[in-house]
Amino acid sequence: MQTTSLLVRKRIATLFFLFTLSIFLLGGRVFWIQFVRGAELSAQAEQNRMRDEPVASKRGIIYDRNGNELAISVSADSVCAYPAEVVASQRHEEIARKLATLLDMDQEKLLTTLTKRTSFVWIKRQIKPEQAQKIREMDLPGIRLTEESHRQYPNGVFCSHVLGISGVDNTGLEGIDHYYDELVGGTKGRIVVEKDAANRPIPEATHKYISPVDGANLILTIDETIQYIAERELDKVFKERQAKAAAVIVMDPKTGEIMAMASRPTFDPNNFGKSPAANRRNFAINDAYEPGSTMKIVTAAMAMEEKVVNDQSRFFCPGYIKVGKETIGCADRKAHGSQTFAEIVENSCNVGFVQVGLDIGLEKYFRYINAFGFGKLTGVDLPGESEGILVPEKSAKQIDLATMAMGQANAVTPIQLTAAVAAVANDGKLMKPHVMKKVIDNKGNVVKENDPVTVKQVISKNTAQQLCSILEGEVVNGTGKNAYIEGYRVGGKTGTAQKVGADGRYMKSEYVASFVGFAPAVDPRLVCLVVVDAPKGYPYYGGWVAAPVFKNIMQDALHYLEVPMYKSEENDKTIEKAENVLVPDVVNLPLAEAISALNSRGLKAKVSGDGNIVWQQTPKPKTKVQKNAQVILSLSPFEKGDKDGEVTIPDLQGKSMREVAKILSDLGLHLIPEGYGLAYEQSPVAGKVVSRGSSIKVKFQPVGE
Amino acid sequence: MEIKRLKFIDKSYVITLLILLIFGLVVLTSASSSISSDPYFYLKKQITSIVLGVIAIIIILRYEYVELKQYSWFLYGLAVLMLIVVLVLGEEVRGTTGWISIGPLPAIQPAEFTKILLILAFADFLERRKGELNTLAQMLPCFAYMGLPFILIMLQPDLGTALVYIAITLVMMYAAGANPKILFTLLFSAVLLTVLLFLAHVHLGLPLPLEDYQIKRLIVFLDPYNDGQGGRGPGWNTIQSLVAIGSGGLTGKGLFNGTQVQLNFLPEHHTDFIYAVIGEELGFVGAVFVIILYGILILRAVNISYNAKELYGTLMVLGITAMWLFHIFESIGMSIGLMPVTGIPLPFLSYGGSSMLTNLIAVGLILNVNIRGKKIVF
Repeated sequence: MQTTSLLVRKRIATLFFLFTLSIFLLGGRVFWIQFVRGAELSAQAEQNRMRDEPVASKRGIIYDRNGNELAISVSADSVCAYPAEVVASQRHEEIARKLATLLDMDQEKLLTTLTKRTSFVWIKRQIKPEQAQKIREMDLPGIRLTEESHRQYPNGVFCSHVLGISGVDNTGLEGIDHYYDELVGGTKGRIVVEKDAANRPIPEATHKYISPVDGANLILTIDETIQYIAERELDKVFKERQAKAAAVIVMDPKTGEIMAMASRPTFDPNNFGKSPAANRRNFAINDAYEPGSTMKIVTAAMAMEEKVVNDQSRFFCPGYIKVGKETIGCADRKAHGSQTFAEIVENSCNVGFVQVGLDIGLEKYFRYINAFGFGKLTGVDLPGESEGILVPEKSAKQIDLATMAMGQANAVTPIQLTAAVAAVANDGKLMKPHVMKKVIDNKGNVVKENDPVTVKQVISKNTAQQLCSILEGEVVNGTGKNAYIEGYRVGGKTGTAQKVGADGRYMKSEYVASFVGFAPAVDPRLVCLVVVDAPKGYPYYGGWVAAPVFKNIMQDALHYLEVPMYKSEENDKTIEKAENVLVPDVVNLPLAEAISALNSRGLKAKVSGDGNIVWQQTPKPKTKVQKNAQVILSLSPFEKGDKDGEVTIPDLQGKSMREVAKILSDLGLHLIPEGYGLAYEQSPVAGKVVSRGSSIKVKFQPVGE
Repeated sequence: MEIKRLKFIDKSYVITLLILLIFGLVVLTSASSSISSDPYFYLKKQITSIVLGVIAIIIILRYEYVELKQYSWFLYGLAVLMLIVVLVLGEEVRGTTGWISIGPLPAIQPAEFTKILLILAFADFLERRKGELNTLAQMLPCFAYMGLPFILIMLQPDLGTALVYIAITLVMMYAAGANPKILFTLLFSAVLLTVLLFLAHVHLGLPLPLEDYQIKRLIVFLDPYNDGQGGRGPGWNTIQSLVAIGSGGLTGKGLFNGTQVQLNFLPEHHTDFIYAVIGEELGFVGAVFVIILYGILILRAVNISYNAKELYGTLMVLGITAMWLFHIFESIGMSIGLMPVTGIPLPFLSYGGSSMLTNLIAVGLILNVNIRGKKIVF
């Protein structure tokens, strides 16, 4: 007999179906979780229990173009602790006491740190090697040492804005170190600690140490020596003139390589916290200023290219010109009278340039300043480049054109102006400025190379060369006389721009003095821009403030690069023809003898320094120079030994390694260098007489230490 | 006891149960090893419960289950009394007054045992109303009968167990022949009402007889990361459980090697979240194995109910089956993000003496119906 009714049996069957369904539903969901979402959830489980502690990688070394170290990475040990192990050892009080004494830390605080409910703590980062050694010897449970590195700049305040700074965690924060951080920074290592839900490390779990990958090395286009020269000269003018800011850029016009770049105020990248943050602004690329007359080079270039002017053009300057309602005057309202185009450049005649500018017209003017790269980034490989500010083309009026033509109204960055003038010096080809030459990995392989990039042929070769010759005239006959370098043909242009004050009007008492130029005038090797913002004292003109700085930098740089001195075969109309003579070797001769040797060859002597022995001469012996040229004699204050084959050792203190090497080799001595930077100790001491061929030990140390 | 009747026992049922129990002990050993200084502390207690449970089964099998009918009102009264006592004297553990301790005996959860008592009483209650469950009026007494203990449970408040009562009531009434339209309408309206209440609570601030954390848990399983604390609040349990099971893969990380479990990311992993331990340490294979074992237990039980001698037995077995299925569905479901986290044990696997003892008593009752049922195999 069927005890359960049909209805009940039907219902049981339905329930059977429903129950089966729910069981399959569960199974299906499990499948989904484990196979469809498996990877994602596994990763999360991993992430859950692993705590990562980054270990800084060693940043690559930054070299100058000749392989001198500009920024290095120094390794130091850091102490860390795994508190769970410390507590488990039952020796936490002893450990805290020992470490507190050794590392000069507060014992109570240290004990709290060591017993924290956390998987990993840093005790002290980058400790001294002897401290690290002692900790290693003590071999305390739960206490580990790990190697970390930090940036060091051996030269101190040197090339600071280009090199930039690195943070505590060894990442590049500014400058080239920031720009190429991915390459230079390497890959951070990790200390991986397995931990549980309460963030306690698991005692048996391994503390994985994944070592960092060191960064690649950079070779810059900067030349340490030229940079040093630039820094030295910039320092001098910045301090003497108590300027607000200043900048120097030295560039190879053919490649766009920046050989030196310095800005003031500056800072020590090793201790950047000690200087105001504003000092880290790289005036050379970060800030725009109204360039004034230096911009007339650009106006001249377009006027010549567009044939608005020619050899026969005459300009009359009564001292001022009216443009619409406005009156524009020349400096001090001086009337230049009737001038050729070359003469308005030499005189930096505002009235002449206003006329030229108005003849060029707004449309062409803007076409050219855009082509020269103003109002946009040059693309230099440094962070934070400014675009500058141009008068908006759409709203520009005749008066704007007039003021732009003479270099006011538009704001440009020093790097833009340098690149533009370099284009003139490079047969009209605008090159992209850059600071990084090559990236080399740890094995010495070239990872990346910055080849010269031609942005544009802005003006024709012919125009460019003509303009170079006019600019050479400006230095010989014009406002740039102070930039003239003995033995070289120099082209350039001064600039004295009025500054715009907070109220938007030009200030009466603040100027930007600048000079931009190149040398040699034919086939230029270097372009150099010097900008001094708001120099104090009179005269504030670019020709007086900036031109001498330009001259000093270029003179030393050209000599350093061994750029041949001017030869008469290449003579130009602007320079008198002269007989060629060979410069005799007068090094180590008494002054009187040296002067007579020079005079006998028709050369003039210019003496610098005290003493009566010549220890250096410029130009070098056997250089061909024109008659009546000057030979600079630097004197050693020491008596020369009377015996043949013996020399007196000069005082080498404060000289760069390169200078020292040169001096010693000129004296026939060998250099045994130690360290880097500037010479501070020598053995045997200065004044001692040794025979030629002797070795001199010279110790060098970085500037500022 | 009629020994000869033992030959009718559903052998596959017993073997499945044994496998499940042993499997449960192994998993529990791994799951509880990291939470107590004695790694076998929980294992020992669990084995004690099983031994007690097996003794209970042997005792139960000695008696004709039909004889229990005469005690229906006593069982019902006992259940209600226990629930009242626990409300008055019970200890509060994490917001729920579910525990009671009598003298030196270990604390028990009366709500576990009352489920069995109520199933037995309700089976009798329904059998008496067989064929008279067509109108709402006829069904109302049933709702009242189960409604009283339901309300007492909600007062603890133990939402998980309360929901189990609903599942038991509906399945037993449906099997007893109650009007399915009315049942479905009631269920549907209850769900709708609940949703509306929640919405009113969330958006209008309507007070509900639940703790805030319980409400949050109920909603948060749908999107555990959106718990207001980025997955570190009420969504934590669901997330950690999903991570545990999801990271298990095909064969799991191995016993004692589940990082989610052993490093205590997964909370309550020896009780409510034991399924996540299986998923992580034994992988898909272990997880599905458990579901298959449960499937056999449930479906064999349905078969036993089908072959029961009379409706009382059928309803009793189906009530127990409904109880288990709901426990399984809820416990596994919350581990895999299918159900809200309400915290009820997984039968035979979760650690817990009251739960284990209750479930083994239930097994005893089912086997009793089994050996006294018809020999026809479904």
